[in-house]
Amino acid sequence: MEKSNKRFVCILFILLALLFTGNPPVWSANVTALSNPVKSDPGNNTSIPVFELPMPGSEREKSYLGLSGTGNFKIGQIKAQVLIIEVFSLYCPHCQRTASQINELYQKIQERPDMKEKIKMIGIGVNNSTYEVDSYRKRYKVPFPLIPDENMEISKMLGVRGTPTFIGIKVNGKGTQKRFYFEEGGFQDTQQFLTEIIKLSGLK
Amino acid sequence: MRVQKKKWMDLLCLSVFLVAAGVAVAYGQSGGFSESIYPVEKLKPTDSVPKLKVGGVAPDFNLPAVAGGKVSLSQYKGKKNVVISFVPAAWTPVCSGQWPGYNISKDLFDKHDAILLGITVDNIPTLYAWTKQMCNPNEKLWFPVLSDFYPHGAVASKYGVLRSEGIAERALFVINKKGIITYIDVHDINQRPLLDDLAKALEKVK
Repeated sequence: MEKSNKRFVCILFILLALLFTGNPPVWSANVTALSNPVKSDPGNNTSIPVFELPMPGSEREKSYLGLSGTGNFKIGQIKAQVLIIEVFSLYCPHCQRTASQINELYQKIQERPDMKEKIKMIGIGVNNSTYEVDSYRKRYKVPFPLIPDENMEISKMLGVRGTPTFIGIKVNGKGTQKRFYFEEGGFQDTQQFLTEIIKLSGLK
Repeated sequence: MRVQKKKWMDLLCLSVFLVAAGVAVAYGQSGGFSESIYPVEKLKPTDSVPKLKVGGVAPDFNLPAVAGGKVSLSQYKGKKNVVISFVPAAWTPVCSGQWPGYNISKDLFDKHDAILLGITVDNIPTLYAWTKQMCNPNEKLWFPVLSDFYPHGAVASKYGVLRSEGIAERALFVINKKGIITYIDVHDINQRPLLDDLAKALEKVK
């Protein structure tokens, strides 16, 4: 066998090894392909790539985020110091089960005069259409903006592998946003989560 | 040598494809019970011969329901529009999200005076365990879930959606109060149909 072919076999074995390690295999395959641009360990200060999101439909949602106009926006334009993103899906039973808890998180932030202008929340509906995101909003009376990510482009940029995933981002208007929190599956206690977000983001 | 190299190329392509398929499938998973979901590789999009047409009469059936008793299509005649959702199998990736989505979209069905009937070829105990995990512990799915287990896939076969592996297609049928089919979507089995499209089909039902 030629040298070049040997190298090829080697690459192939590495690929196959990546495919079949871990449990379940689907999950590990997914991690292999989506491990960048963001690593999945929480608490690190990774920069997140600059990308655009579709502008929320309602004026109330836009004014909450300090946005105006139509088209797209970037995270850096959001009027806040910290952004909490919940990546969810209409088709995710776990998201459905915890929807009221996430609404409670929003309420708790609104009840803090020192934090409500500094921490904002959005939801990203992975693989959901506008209609599907609207259905979810209506069903759970979600008070914060929900943005559809029908082609999963936004979720991939954020390094998301499943739903629900919670991401904390330090927002600055200069375009480079840093992620300080990344957690799959949700949280137990709302107050504790909020305290952790405030602490990890350096707001207090 | 060249031939051999081509073989390796094919294998490489196949592994890349498998990784990609894994990515597509994993998005159907959710934190709640993702550990129980059996990973499925990408399947042939559709694998059955259509037997029914829009405008035709929907064949009647009488199937056991997870909640007990039997449910027939004819019991809704003159009373409700019917949406039938065939999904391939319990505990598989895309299906495990599809019905939970419908479960929180009851308004859409109510608005159009429609009932949803979920059908798979699994047996009742399997469907019981699977659907139980789709909602909160004290709640149940609002729509009947029916088992087309024995004779295996007989209803799926009548509807032209039984695949060669013995599972059903991911298919939606809308049937009006007269028992006439007004919409058929035999979907790519690997993908979830958009709720938008079903909503549009329900708008048109007469």
